[in-house]
Amino acid sequence: MQRARRWQWQRIEGIQMSEFKTIGKNEQRVDIRSKVLGTAVYAADVNLPDMLHGKVVRCYEHAHARVVSLDLSAAAAVPGVVKVLGPKDVTSKAFNKSVIDLMASESTAQMLGDIEEQHIFTDHVKFYGDGIAGIIATSEEAAEQAAALVAVEYEPLPVYLTPEASAAPDAVQFTDQKPGNLAFSLPDGMFPGGQLGWGEVDQAFEGADLVIEDTFYTPKQKQCQMEPNSYVALYDDEGRLNCWMSSQMPKLVHEKLARLFEMPMSQVKVTQTVVGGGFGARLGMVMEPEVCAMALAVPGRPVKLQQPREEDWLTSPSRHPSRYWMKLGFKKDGTPAACDARSTNFKGGYYLDGSALASTTGFWLQGMYRFDTLRYKGDSYFTNQPVCGAFRGYGNPQTNFVLEQMIDRGCAELNIDPLEWRKKWHKQVGDMSWLNATPYTSCALDECLDQGAEAIGWAEKRAKYASQTGTKRRGIGVSVGNHTSGAFPMILEQTTCTVRLNEDASATVLVACSEIGQGSHTTLRQIAAETLGLPLDDVRLDAGDSDANGFDIGAHASRTLYVGGTAVMKACEDAREQLFARAAKLLQTSIDELDIDENKQIFVKDSPDRFVSAAKICRDGSFNFANPQTGELEGEPGQIQAYVSYKPDNNSPPFFSTFVEVEVDTETGEVDVLELVSSHDIGRAIHPAICEGQMEGGAQQGLGMALMEEIYFDDNGHVTNNSFTDYKMLGASDMPKMTNILVENPDPYGPFGAKSVGEAGLVTPVGATANAIFQATGIQFTQGPITPEKILQAIKEKGLSYT
Amino acid sequence: MSKHAITLKVNGASYDLVVASNKTLLEVLRDQLNMPETKYGCGTGECGACSVLVEGDVAINSCLTLAATMDGREITTAAGLQQNGELHPVQQAFIDHSAVQCGYCTPGMVVKGVSLLAKNPNPTEQEIREGLEGSICRCTGYVKIVEAVDAAGKAMAVAAD
Amino acid sequence: MSTRVLTDFDLVLPGSLSEALDILAQNGSAVTVVAGGTDILVAMKAGFKADMVMSLTALPDLDYLDYDASSGLRIGANASIAQVVDSADVERHYPALWQAAKIFATPQLRNTATVVGNLLRGSPAGDCCAAVAALGGSLTMASAGSTRELDIDDLWVAYGTTARADNELAVELKIPAPAAGRVSAFKRLTRVNEDLAKLNVAVSLQMDGSTCSDVRLAMGCVAPTMIRLPSAEAVLEGSELNSETLEKAAAAVQEDISPIDDQRSTAEYRRGVAGVYLKRAVEQACSIA
Repeated sequence: MQRARRWQWQRIEGIQMSEFKTIGKNEQRVDIRSKVLGTAVYAADVNLPDMLHGKVVRCYEHAHARVVSLDLSAAAAVPGVVKVLGPKDVTSKAFNKSVIDLMASESTAQMLGDIEEQHIFTDHVKFYGDGIAGIIATSEEAAEQAAALVAVEYEPLPVYLTPEASAAPDAVQFTDQKPGNLAFSLPDGMFPGGQLGWGEVDQAFEGADLVIEDTFYTPKQKQCQMEPNSYVALYDDEGRLNCWMSSQMPKLVHEKLARLFEMPMSQVKVTQTVVGGGFGARLGMVMEPEVCAMALAVPGRPVKLQQPREEDWLTSPSRHPSRYWMKLGFKKDGTPAACDARSTNFKGGYYLDGSALASTTGFWLQGMYRFDTLRYKGDSYFTNQPVCGAFRGYGNPQTNFVLEQMIDRGCAELNIDPLEWRKKWHKQVGDMSWLNATPYTSCALDECLDQGAEAIGWAEKRAKYASQTGTKRRGIGVSVGNHTSGAFPMILEQTTCTVRLNEDASATVLVACSEIGQGSHTTLRQIAAETLGLPLDDVRLDAGDSDANGFDIGAHASRTLYVGGTAVMKACEDAREQLFARAAKLLQTSIDELDIDENKQIFVKDSPDRFVSAAKICRDGSFNFANPQTGELEGEPGQIQAYVSYKPDNNSPPFFSTFVEVEVDTETGEVDVLELVSSHDIGRAIHPAICEGQMEGGAQQGLGMALMEEIYFDDNGHVTNNSFTDYKMLGASDMPKMTNILVENPDPYGPFGAKSVGEAGLVTPVGATANAIFQATGIQFTQGPITPEKILQAIKEKGLSYT
Repeated sequence: MSKHAITLKVNGASYDLVVASNKTLLEVLRDQLNMPETKYGCGTGECGACSVLVEGDVAINSCLTLAATMDGREITTAAGLQQNGELHPVQQAFIDHSAVQCGYCTPGMVVKGVSLLAKNPNPTEQEIREGLEGSICRCTGYVKIVEAVDAAGKAMAVAAD
Repeated sequence: MSTRVLTDFDLVLPGSLSEALDILAQNGSAVTVVAGGTDILVAMKAGFKADMVMSLTALPDLDYLDYDASSGLRIGANASIAQVVDSADVERHYPALWQAAKIFATPQLRNTATVVGNLLRGSPAGDCCAAVAALGGSLTMASAGSTRELDIDDLWVAYGTTARADNELAVELKIPAPAAGRVSAFKRLTRVNEDLAKLNVAVSLQMDGSTCSDVRLAMGCVAPTMIRLPSAEAVLEGSELNSETLEKAAAAVQEDISPIDDQRSTAEYRRGVAGVYLKRAVEQACSIA
């Protein structure tokens, strides 16, 4: 393995991009032809003979209530209904739909306070739409009819929609495992004092020339992946539980289902179908427990569960709403002397990945700038809202909205150019990264900022918009960020990969990494082909099958290319070495003297007329016939196969920046986003178009978070906009002119120098938009999203900065 | 409940069907005709994942269309856009421009692209963007989709010359 | 709560107008009439129960859109919004309607939804409703054995409720031919381009030089139904159109509206922008003229 590693280093340092065969090229995505034709099979497209349809009965009367009585008899009598299930008809085992708890050791999970408090069907309704029973019927229609006939008597409970409300001393407890409804706060044992940071913060404020503080709110945003969650489950005649689903984390869901239903993992088979988007909404389990419980209730018959969009909205986790207080201290020259912050998160009805979000929100904060001193506290309280979990950025967009506005406020007070300030004070290579545990390994943020500023015309526009009149005011804003490539060292990181060379020297790569639309199967395949020296078409990735695939922790933390890619690369290096070792024997030379051409001929570099066919080596390995004349075995026996279980020892954060230009209509508060320029230091673009795609899509979601996306509740905790009619996202004609710049600065740890780009694209558009509106109006908006309603009201109350 | 005998022409083939009054065209395509390429995304005509073409080039939301009202009509789905294994220029352009990520919106988006270009063979970027409204993509920010439709329009114009 | 599947109902597809009117005569309020169906199906998935659905799809000859310089515009019950967008006559003679149709919902919905259906839905947010309310016109309401003309001003009686009798079918919308000097415009405010309006406004004025008369102003999402703006109309009627009278009219709008908070906006905001949008719509109408 050491040797293989060196080979990688040499390539990165010594070889120009053009010398790669496939790395850096916009190869045709592996999944794209089936997707333009519509033949790609998503979970909802799985149909099995004799299939039944499941429906979860949900509570839409209350956001908080106890089920006093549940009468399923009328539902059971509906023609077509095969079975009705109440809480007692399914496992009573408590579980946690998130899988984050699996990724910490038991003692760490205990210290973090991870709990299992969910049930398949509940008798304590904790949010609008919580599931209380199940129907299995021969058609969706019959299941719907039956669901409408379920008679429930509820005891309504007080509805808590804010941390303050649920933390009140007399509040009903969501679970006896979390006194005071405090789902999580940074544990003292892990973060001394229950806080992150460094230095004497209070003292530093005393010495500061400028101190600013404010409390922000960031909204409950929905991922809105285009495919609503659908499943098929079958408890088959061999006693295996099968589940076709589209989780982003199939292997961890595999283990979770086995634990929940107390079956050996070998008796549970999880098949990840084509996944219609994730963005965090499918980080762990969503409806897998329910559909599997239904399947177990009707052995031998498949059960399909398809959720209407409105229901998907309520059952899959959203972004955590956050109340985020921040205080900054600056010296006159802009030196960031102190940062003090606290984010209090609205957890929703269940714990899920409760320990993670309030932590990472602070990690991103401490990772960004060279504050002399910093202190962050974070906690989450249960609320009677649909569950919160992962959403692209995982606390980073929240921090970006707050921190980047506060920096601009400080710069405005100190009369410092916000771009120059950022260039001066952002963290650099060698500084400690987000967990304050590993140093940054590469950083091209200055180049990102320079290129972005030039592309959008920052200097001229910034100066021009400093004084304006009229009802249309323009502004330009900048924001910077960094993220991570993988979850190391916070939680578990591991991917296994097996590479098998077939008899014709084509390769099958077995890896459980999730393709959720981000293009990872295409880029992983490029890495495999490049490393093996094989044509792209000769490499096939096999993923999504829990029988075939080894361990992997799924698509999250922007890890797939960085960690999965390295696992694939290492396994392929091993396979190539095995192949070349056999060739070297035949050609009587050493491995280092060999290369492979596009026809899969392995040749001696200095004398290309000496070559051997890779296919022949592979075929001889598998068939290994005896020569009929000599009786000697032909070739070296054994199919070439390589396996690696890879744990990274770094996380190579990508750095990035976004510039946004807006025009605000001061009579209506409407914001027209005129232009957006993002530049990302992605290390190396394995597939530039796929990298751009992440930035482009991320920008749509980031602009949405800044400007309009928020789930609303009425006073009773009923969600009032859980549909595409009532919850709006930027459409094709709303999107601004966008320029997305890839800055390539190979990272020493990433595969071929690559760092992540998956989540990052969403982050900086959030802060940059807010800052552009700040310049246009002279007003900072602390309560996201920044809607025309809020802008118009603020203009009325505060007036414009330059009139 | 009422049942309705209808004839639907889908992707060139004719089907005599009996459909229930409450079945949408989307359900009939997916469940009765086993053509899964047309997708359920929202069921309320907002996302466009269920878009199909009527009479060759008019895009409609199949989730808001009662199947029984479509007697005698000609439907084209994304899968039906290819001719003898040749992709439609719009589909090819989506591939060439990497205009696909998760792919769930793609069949509807491709159908929309075809419909848009049928009505306006030489659209401006703004016209493409407006024409794509009603088809939501949450992955791409629409950049490469707009590029693909633009390129397809140009390719079709060249082919028509 | 919403479902993926529609609950059961009887569907009738009359093949002639008389058959349709007979069905209405016999079943009255039990019948839910659908043309494009794009509103009703959404409502049904969200829990609206219909016993009998009568689709107009199979009715022949109701998908016309005809313009005549003397008699004006006639739009049949099955004519789609897309037909309005495609009509050069509408674009030229009825800018408010054309502008409303052009940005109405989505391209797919425009291909299916009908103008008459939009009016009959009785939503205070209907974009075509605003345009037609400003342009003025009438609906031909047919029932077995009789026909009446229903003035657009009398159509909407309450939220989601129209003056259509249970046995009536709206078969045609008529909008009079504009006199020379007639201008009109439509504007709306949405969260994103494809959205229901948080506020929409349509204006239609007879301009003689800079003097306006026969002023019809309509605004949506500011009351339980689409409304005319009598106070603002009174300000403008017979006045010289200048920034002063426009400001006055914009201020007068406050007397005409009674907006509420909903998922799309707030009452306060609607009050804040109503006058601005009225002003801008009038300016747009005049600049086109």
